[in-house]
Amino acid sequence: MIKAILYKEWIKTRYLFLLAAVILAAFTAYCQLRIGKVVSLRGAAHLWEILLSRDNTFYEPMRYVPLFSGVLLALFQLVPEMQQNRLKLCLHLPLPQNKIIGIMLGFGVSLLLALFVVTYLIIFLYLNPILAPELICRVMLTMLPWYVAGIAGYAFVAFAVLEPTWRRRLLNVLAGAAFIQIFYLSSYAEAYNQVIVWLLIITLALVGLSFLSVSRFKDGVQ
Amino acid sequence: MNPIITCTDLTHHYGKRLIYENLNFSVPEGRILGLLGKNGTGKTTTINILNGYLKPSSGECTIFGENIRQINPITKQRIALLIEGHVQYSFMNIEQIERFYASFYPKWKKEAYYELMDLLKVAPRQRIANMSCGQRSQVALGLIMAQNADLLILDDFSLGLDPGYRRLFIEYLREYAKSERKTVFLTSHIIQDMEKLIDDCIILDYGKILIQKSVSELMDTFKKFTFKISDTRISLPADEKFYNPAVYRGNGELFSFQNMEYVKQYLCKHSIEHSQLKSEKLNLEDIFIGLTGKY
Repeated sequence: MIKAILYKEWIKTRYLFLLAAVILAAFTAYCQLRIGKVVSLRGAAHLWEILLSRDNTFYEPMRYVPLFSGVLLALFQLVPEMQQNRLKLCLHLPLPQNKIIGIMLGFGVSLLLALFVVTYLIIFLYLNPILAPELICRVMLTMLPWYVAGIAGYAFVAFAVLEPTWRRRLLNVLAGAAFIQIFYLSSYAEAYNQVIVWLLIITLALVGLSFLSVSRFKDGVQ
Repeated sequence: MNPIITCTDLTHHYGKRLIYENLNFSVPEGRILGLLGKNGTGKTTTINILNGYLKPSSGECTIFGENIRQINPITKQRIALLIEGHVQYSFMNIEQIERFYASFYPKWKKEAYYELMDLLKVAPRQRIANMSCGQRSQVALGLIMAQNADLLILDDFSLGLDPGYRRLFIEYLREYAKSERKTVFLTSHIIQDMEKLIDDCIILDYGKILIQKSVSELMDTFKKFTFKISDTRISLPADEKFYNPAVYRGNGELFSFQNMEYVKQYLCKHSIEHSQLKSEKLNLEDIFIGLTGKY
């Protein structure tokens, strides 16, 4: 039964998954071309200097890409469930309601994490021969809040889409926008090192807000 | 016969608007029961409450003896649901949707689904979203039949269907329900179809149940009385045994479970001069209009 739910979620999201993978790959490639250009024109030492002395990590164009991916994934996955109240079909399945919703949301978060981990891995493999481990770490820690923002975007769009009333939907979107803004308050490198673990824990816990929306849907709130 | 569905003292409001109050009914095993009513009388509300998608203001419903708010997943396997407008996962094609549902239901009958799909003349990979409303209704019906559930709950199954598909749906459903001894609880706007399908009916009026009877009993006992009145200004006095008495251009009409003698006494008692008093049997749609009125 779990496999069947995952199959349904995959049917809805597979094209978006491919699109998100292409966009992430394109942006990663673009950022790495910028790094490659600096290395070929001025040498790796100049790259080290920029990374150490300025807040430029060369991956800034990717800032909003994970967020964009998370928002789009939630829309592609959950809007079809709410069109014509199709969520009723899902809740009628012979499984506990929270388990069904948990599997759906777990699928979405896993898909995002898979995309993000692969991107991270590509960046690591690319930087490994040209940068010291500390500098690779600096780049990756600077980018980490953007990826957590991607999961937060997914969590809040899911919270809003699964909500049955438009008024609450709007409030959920506003709450989401306020929370996500936290991830973009500072553009300094490694600015979030002290809080990123907590932000990640809070973000993962916020995925659970969607259960509240489904519960309201189930009570027939209009 | 054991009741499969029981609703006790069901009351529901949307905000301050009362939909119905203290509704009591049950659906016996092996029967096809139609819930009929005008728009806004609470048919879909009842279906939503029965499926646990709406918390009633008060009252309780049970299906197979279990409270619908805490129904066991195993019991859910015995209940098939058709949502208003034959809503299904339209992003799937007919093969994908069969594969999806099959794993949830241990008594799944793949052949029943594909037998109906063969009549549709659609490609196996065609997405449900690209099908006509009639074709989508057949997909939904095929899935219900394949689920092989003991109870079928169908919300406004005739919505959007042309007469051909409506007839096909009804014939398939009736034959299936009777041969497999299924219990069916359904609603529909199109009463004329129900006559061929349902055994029993509940007619809802605003706020209450007007009548719950078998269709055959209703058609045998409920009649329309017509007569001519010379005084066209007269209006018919109310009588609790009559439904919607009216005079239009000298033609009087009223609906009742009473016999001709009772009507004669009523006309006599109120000194209404009349002629050509006749009674006629009605089809289900006319009975519905007779009971609920045209407005």
